[in-house]
Amino acid sequence: MPSQQSNQPLPPGFRLDRYRIERQLSLGGFSIVYLAYDEEETPVAIKEYLPNSLALRSAGIVPVVSEEHRNAFRHGMKCFFEEGRSLAHLSHPNVVRVLNFFRANETVYMVMQYERGRTLHEHIRKCKGAIGESFVRNVFSRLLNGLREVHTQKLLHLDIKPANIYLRTDGSPVLLDFGAARQALSSDGPSLKPMYTPGFAAPEQYEAPDQLGPWTDIYAVGASIYTTMGGAAPPAASARLVKDELVPAAKCWAGKYSKQLLDTVDWCMQLDYLERPLSVFALQKALAEGGAAQHAPSWVDTLSRRLRGLIGK
Amino acid sequence: MKFTIFHESRIGKRNDNEDRLAYCYSRDALLMVVADGMGGHLHGEVASQIAVQHLTDAFQRESLPRLPDPFLFLSWGFTEAHHAIADYAAAHGLAEAPRTTCVACVVQESIAYWAHAGDSRLYVIRDGRVLARTRDHSSVQAMIDQGRITADEARRHPARNRVYSCLGGDHAPQIDFSRKTTLAAGDIIVLCSDGVWGALDEGTLVTTLANANVMTGVPRLLDEAEARGGETCDNLSLIALNWEENYGDDTTSMIETRTMPLDTHTTLMEGFESSRPRDRELTEDDIERAIEEIRGAIQKYSR
Repeated sequence: MPSQQSNQPLPPGFRLDRYRIERQLSLGGFSIVYLAYDEEETPVAIKEYLPNSLALRSAGIVPVVSEEHRNAFRHGMKCFFEEGRSLAHLSHPNVVRVLNFFRANETVYMVMQYERGRTLHEHIRKCKGAIGESFVRNVFSRLLNGLREVHTQKLLHLDIKPANIYLRTDGSPVLLDFGAARQALSSDGPSLKPMYTPGFAAPEQYEAPDQLGPWTDIYAVGASIYTTMGGAAPPAASARLVKDELVPAAKCWAGKYSKQLLDTVDWCMQLDYLERPLSVFALQKALAEGGAAQHAPSWVDTLSRRLRGLIGK
Repeated sequence: MKFTIFHESRIGKRNDNEDRLAYCYSRDALLMVVADGMGGHLHGEVASQIAVQHLTDAFQRESLPRLPDPFLFLSWGFTEAHHAIADYAAAHGLAEAPRTTCVACVVQESIAYWAHAGDSRLYVIRDGRVLARTRDHSSVQAMIDQGRITADEARRHPARNRVYSCLGGDHAPQIDFSRKTTLAAGDIIVLCSDGVWGALDEGTLVTTLANANVMTGVPRLLDEAEARGGETCDNLSLIALNWEENYGDDTTSMIETRTMPLDTHTTLMEGFESSRPRDRELTEDDIERAIEEIRGAIQKYSR
């Protein structure tokens, strides 16, 4: 079975269309992402369509696709186009921007804006549980602005997790890496397996892909906030379906975060999607409402703490 | 028995047709089955094929020329099909058993008996009105019954495709049985998948069939459902039976079983071949065109 072989990335310095490959940024089941520079030396991120299970690059540059996998490979390419098409219609500060799309090496490439900063995943690890309520509300409300735009374009992300949320150096979030799981939805034959990230994928991604919707991304947003609060991913939905050992956020971090925020997280992570916020808007409202209620006292707190500090000195 | 029957299955806008249908009759008994493999679960078409195959095989073994107990036949048939799907999953090392809805109807001695699991439906139409209809095993049907939503809201409800009973899968199916329903000349029995009833309101379905011969009414109905299904049109499958007590005018399409030998059956089943995905391969031109289109959008939407 070729499914576990991993593909060789393009070598550093390789000329790809009008770009120069610098290095590999990440390797996924469907694609490789590179850091590259264009003719003006502007850094870009280039995503190469290269599904692990169907195409193999070992010796040469052009990946080998066996006759048996040709249809599935082309089908996946269609999905890659879908992703490009949807992203091309999106112009939102909190969603990664597509700059170009081209064909080379018998596969296709998507060029995206390269952002400086770090992923939320890295940020969580650096902060070790010291992330405050205002950071959570702030980052996720802005991220949801982007996600709302995504849903408006009839696209689901399906792989939201801290590693796919990028924090620019100014602290604003950007949603990265679209459509990984989407590609598997309507494939035929020996094909692209759906990709889930355990802990973030909603139950319907495992067992009922026909029931995917905005609520599926909302589960992942809930799980991402949960991870931001606790530093570790929640149990996988598949395991929760068998025996639910998820400790509700309201129980884990009572006192550390407001009850309203913790309840919102638990609301997002309901196994039954009908019990979750059904749209991003509903969730945003919950984040904003609690934020407003929260904001005044926390601002007063900070000020009084500072004053006390001054007086103490 | 005298009847006219028409069946058709269309792929809609999907990549695969996971619906299966079949009918089968002996001199004294008739069986009709529609199964809708569940799209989300892998191998939905395997589950629907097994269900349909299993019921028709059993019918051919037991209706010589009539079934001793139609309800018992349906009960056993559904249960065994459920286990056959689980066995298939085990034999092929599938992580989970595929699933299918199923609705089946037996007619013998002018009495109809039917059973269903899931949201494929059966309607009995008499004098232009619905005489009987199956109740879907779906969350939205439950909500309608509880008065929490209207039938119209159910159409757009996010859970409208969620069924709680099916053949295959991890749980034993809930199977509902009809009453014994004596048929009169001119009655129409319709079995269909949700691709058909979901796209049409009940009024359209009833009037289209009641006002035409099933041979002409069914294609018209499917055209209508397909048009309303739009770009995401689900698989559409339908069997319609026009029960004729007396000899009708249109003898060419009518089936007369009285002259059949006692030990023979006529079976019609949509096979795997006829419903293979018609997914067109992406050509070089398609690729070029897609890239051009995306580039155009990037240009247009970039700030």
